[in-house]
Amino acid sequence: MIPELGHILVIITFVISTMQCCYWLYNLKHTNIDVVRVLQKGSLINFLFIFLSFLILTYSFITSDFSLLIVSNNSHTLKPLIYKISGVWGNHEGSLLLWVLILSAFTFFVSFKNSINSKHLSSIIGVQTVILSLFLAFILFTSNPFERVDELPLDGKGLNPLLQDPGLALHPPMLYIGYVGLSVSFSFAVAALITGEINKNWARQMRPWIAIAWSALTIGIALGSWWAYYELGWGGWWFWDPVENASFMPWLVATALLHCVRILEKKLIFINWTILLSILAFSFSLLGTFIVRSGLLTSVHAFASDPSRGVFILIILGISIGVPLILYTIKSSSFNEEKGNFDIVSKESAILVNNLFLTTATLTVLIGTLYPLFLDAINGNKVSIGPAYYNATFAPIMAPVVFLMAIAPFLNWKKYTDKNFIKKIIFLSAVTFLGGTLLYLIEEKSIFALISGSLSIWLFTGVITDLISKIREAKVKLQNIKQLFFFMSKINLGIHVAHIGVAIFLAGVTGEQFYKSEYNVIKKVGDIINIGTKSLKFDKIENIDGPNYNSLMATFTLYENKKFISKLRPEKRFYTNEKSQTTEAAILSDFWGDTYLVLGEGDNKTGWSLRIYSNPLVSWIWAGAFFMAVGGILSVTQKSSRFRNI
Amino acid sequence: MNPKYRRLFITIIIVLTLGLATKLILMALEENIVYFYTPNDLIEKFGNAQNIQNKMRIGGLVLESSIKKEGKKTIFIITDRKEEVKVVFDGSLPDLFREGQGIVAEGIFKNNNFIASEVLAKHDENYMPPEVADALKKNNVWKGESD
Repeated sequence: MIPELGHILVIITFVISTMQCCYWLYNLKHTNIDVVRVLQKGSLINFLFIFLSFLILTYSFITSDFSLLIVSNNSHTLKPLIYKISGVWGNHEGSLLLWVLILSAFTFFVSFKNSINSKHLSSIIGVQTVILSLFLAFILFTSNPFERVDELPLDGKGLNPLLQDPGLALHPPMLYIGYVGLSVSFSFAVAALITGEINKNWARQMRPWIAIAWSALTIGIALGSWWAYYELGWGGWWFWDPVENASFMPWLVATALLHCVRILEKKLIFINWTILLSILAFSFSLLGTFIVRSGLLTSVHAFASDPSRGVFILIILGISIGVPLILYTIKSSSFNEEKGNFDIVSKESAILVNNLFLTTATLTVLIGTLYPLFLDAINGNKVSIGPAYYNATFAPIMAPVVFLMAIAPFLNWKKYTDKNFIKKIIFLSAVTFLGGTLLYLIEEKSIFALISGSLSIWLFTGVITDLISKIREAKVKLQNIKQLFFFMSKINLGIHVAHIGVAIFLAGVTGEQFYKSEYNVIKKVGDIINIGTKSLKFDKIENIDGPNYNSLMATFTLYENKKFISKLRPEKRFYTNEKSQTTEAAILSDFWGDTYLVLGEGDNKTGWSLRIYSNPLVSWIWAGAFFMAVGGILSVTQKSSRFRNI
Repeated sequence: MNPKYRRLFITIIIVLTLGLATKLILMALEENIVYFYTPNDLIEKFGNAQNIQNKMRIGGLVLESSIKKEGKKTIFIITDRKEEVKVVFDGSLPDLFREGQGIVAEGIFKNNNFIASEVLAKHDENYMPPEVADALKKNNVWKGESD
């Protein structure tokens, strides 16, 4: 009976949200505070009902109610509690309900921002609600999570063992907060188009939402990449897989938007571009969600492909991307831009170049992702595009972005006035040259290793230099902690933190890409394997029972210069319910890098095949992403507009 | 800067960047595309060529009792039930590599052997790489439902 309640709640919300859309459209010409109040109440109800319905679905998963189709298909009584919960979004229907839950939450939160003027606000809520009701219709007509089974099974089929992992339990929610969060800036943009009005407050109100979405998206992507690194057992962290690209493209566009909107906060120029980016960012999110879910691209992410869903998806995409774009072509010329002059060497220019390169980079990823589909449709040729393509296109386009990232924060808005600018550049170049030389002396690798490593040093030095010069300018005494804190809270520290994150990330990428080493060996119990200054002793191999799997576990002891470091236990797990096998790599991480050990096939007579990777700085990749996300969140708490030139 | 010059400046930069990007993309697409063939396609397209330097992917089923181990190397045959290709691979095989499983191998052709640098199989026993499924359907050996 309880699941039916969940279903009914979804139906009621669908009806309410559709009525809300009509109410909004009906009052479009004469919005006032009363209209906004009605819409606010509606979004509160939507949020509460969907939240309840989501709780009910979660409850069904926790109690293993196998009379529900998706529970019996994706859960099992023996599964640990956390994976019973994460199983809720480990399937198509449940993940859509999560999507809708997050959408209704964002709508609810933005609807009570009374600092947005009511004309904009009513349209923002209106647009959000249109998206909400479209998705609710999608759930109700094609992907009902509360569907019952005809015949009660004895036990569930279980969740794909690869997905039974703490990192991956959080990956979809974070990613979805990112995807759906971008709907808010999208609604801001559409609201501006509908009302034909735009002002600095609009931009100021919009930026925090972009920053939150961007940070969540960063964490979501990083979690996915981290999971791929330790779970798939190849030692790689990014494969330029179409599914990864699908989440990366909205991230790139959102990054461009996050920078671009800062110009608009200062001066009403580049209005159309900002609006277009806002629309594009969310369009890529939608495309990302659907490209992955529709089975157009096959992978672990493709849950089910059902033609009726495909048509529905096309309709949703058409309405939510097409209508705003049509509106854009009609209305975008009507905005009046301020007369804004700025020097070539100024923050505005830097941000424009940033935007240009980021969108171009997005384009290369888009082409790389869609080209195989396109070729297949044209002449049936099956091709795949791998990392080599992206190394040749994406990397050279992003290199100038990182180069500029270090020096752009030195620049002032509008005018080139900083007399120390050249001095700072000379200092940066000197440090980078020294660092690069050191890198070259340590271990000579390719020219690309040198460029990528030097760029990381360049950026790191740039951010630190900028921070120090700002502290100096403000004449803050470093000993005075209170004063320093006050200062830190006033400048836009988020920018520095996020940019340092990029430097850390790039250092990690350099280490992983160019300095890693791989060993393939066949060894028996008792053997010793030497890797550089480290050695591994093969202690034993044994069968061990886990909660819902059997494991073949090997034990190794890692020594460095004959000193005991740690035990390493790589495994092969056989999930009996799901009838599948996973490889669990043993990974020892420290500050300077990882030792990554994978157990392969073999037996005690001929020996076991082993793969050992030494991955320098690899954890910096995710640490960098974490810093970026923290920077994004920090920037929400600061209103940069209050402080000139910071 | 005067808005007029600004516009000119912006336009020039945009054109330059996009031009450069297009050039990069076209070059990369030409050089880095990896074509997929079934053993049958391969023979139709390249005849009896013994060496093909371009990286490619071949896909099909792992022929029953064709898997041999030679030290670190694994040698097996990929078949689409029409033609067969001998694959040599020295690396770690995916978890679901087994006889009769649909797989995709990436590598080059050397002395009539396919020297694989990577062997891919998905992590699900029911999963069939879509290219392989298509190819098998074409040869009427695929009995599963479309996936």
